[in-house]
Amino acid sequence: MGPDFHTTIRLERLESPLKRELKDLFGIDVDTCLECGKCSGGCSNGHVFDYTPRKIVQLVKLGAEETLMKMDALWICLSCQLCLDRCPSGIDIPRILDYLRGKARMKRIPARRPAIGLFHELMIEQIRKTGRVSEVGLMLRFKAATGEYMKDAGIGVKLFLKGKLNPFSPSVKNVEEVRRLYDSASKRTKT
Amino acid sequence: MEAALRIAQAGFHAVLVEKEPELGGTLRDLHSSFPRWENPRELIDHRVGLLTKSRRVTIRTQTAVTSSARQKKGFRVSLKSLRNENEDELDVDAVVLTTGFELMDVSVYGEYGYGIYPGVMTSLEFEGQLKKWAQSTREIAADAPRGVALIQCVGSRDRSKGNPYCSKICCMYTAKQAGLVKDLFPDTRVYVFYMDYRASGKEYEEFVRQVIEEKHVRYIRGRPAKVLPEDGRLLVRAEDTLMGIPVEVAVDMVILASAIVPRPGTRLLAGMFGARTDEYGFIESELHEPVRSADRVFFAGGCGFAIETTGALNQGASAAAGVIALFNEDR
Repeated sequence: MGPDFHTTIRLERLESPLKRELKDLFGIDVDTCLECGKCSGGCSNGHVFDYTPRKIVQLVKLGAEETLMKMDALWICLSCQLCLDRCPSGIDIPRILDYLRGKARMKRIPARRPAIGLFHELMIEQIRKTGRVSEVGLMLRFKAATGEYMKDAGIGVKLFLKGKLNPFSPSVKNVEEVRRLYDSASKRTKT
Repeated sequence: MEAALRIAQAGFHAVLVEKEPELGGTLRDLHSSFPRWENPRELIDHRVGLLTKSRRVTIRTQTAVTSSARQKKGFRVSLKSLRNENEDELDVDAVVLTTGFELMDVSVYGEYGYGIYPGVMTSLEFEGQLKKWAQSTREIAADAPRGVALIQCVGSRDRSKGNPYCSKICCMYTAKQAGLVKDLFPDTRVYVFYMDYRASGKEYEEFVRQVIEEKHVRYIRGRPAKVLPEDGRLLVRAEDTLMGIPVEVAVDMVILASAIVPRPGTRLLAGMFGARTDEYGFIESELHEPVRSADRVFFAGGCGFAIETTGALNQGASAAAGVIALFNEDR
């Protein structure tokens, strides 16, 4: 499952099946990485990542799949696509992380921060029900589940005053289509 | 060679003095070139063919310059044959110095074990090995090393035991050699240890990327600290500075991209013609003339600094242009 980062790495013994999978499944070639760090420099959440996007690409090269699936960055990445937009080689890092999140989920490797898994589950469930994310509804459910009602109240007020929070969020027109997507995805993950 | 050819083509007479039995210099030792994987032998044969055919070129191989005296216009040069010790003199109107470069003695790096472990060799020695493999008529698969590590900047960008300067061509020829190993032995694992690769030239960046992305040479950013024996193989120890983690790799051959240094004879020869050399012994240019070092003294190629083949050709042609302009003024 990839190298242990507390010992010296033996390069000749490294294999990266992950690198091959990314190439075969999505045409992502991490060998095109120029190691420039523009992805990390532009990353909207990089300052709190344990492994920044540039290092994530390096970890793929090193075949450190275990580290990648356990890293904090996997679940605090906002999928904002900035890294991909900035990358001079066009490496689709968000796609790599999506793939890894799926793998981690299948292997039941939990996110390091306890509430993150819960947040993602609530969000996915909300999309299944309404076809979209309602920030207010999601936050209320999340707060109800964690019991930390006041933790982000200040920022909530600010967002509301700036018109970033819409308390009324109707469902998409054809929710059935969204449900069908969910059904086919869950069927695929079961096989 | 290039300068002599161009001068002759312009209608003047050129005497080509070469210490070795054959023309071509370091280029003769090379198996392939960057960035187009061409055979340097073809270039040499082409130029030697033209030089031999030219009635205005005299080729003096195995001949050394022993002294020189400046005259009103030009020099009286003393030559000595290395075959029979015969000496003679020659009056010339201008000289072009083209003594080339050599590699630094990297045995000062005890940590790399050059001269101790047979698998550790310089890039130029490895070029010979590549040539041997490529020209072999027998099956060479049995020779295939399982792993090869190429180390850049051995003696370059090193103020403590080597030279502070960048040797300019190692990034490119290292990529070339790494790619050639992969062409010969696709299953061999090839590692290049680098601090940064400098590929500033037409098609150079694409060349290095091709070696990394298509030939699958693994580039590790970090300067190895030690080569040590392990179970009959060589263990290279370094830091992967991109991740900040120590790495090791077991290989069968370690290739050192040794720093480019001037030949010791260059300083001596330059002195004979009043040309200046820098603190390392490379010939220095004068004023705004990049290939002129003193009145009627031009130079080209590696004796001025590390240079790739096309650059040396350009300098040779440039020196010839200087000589031709001078001769036209003389008339």
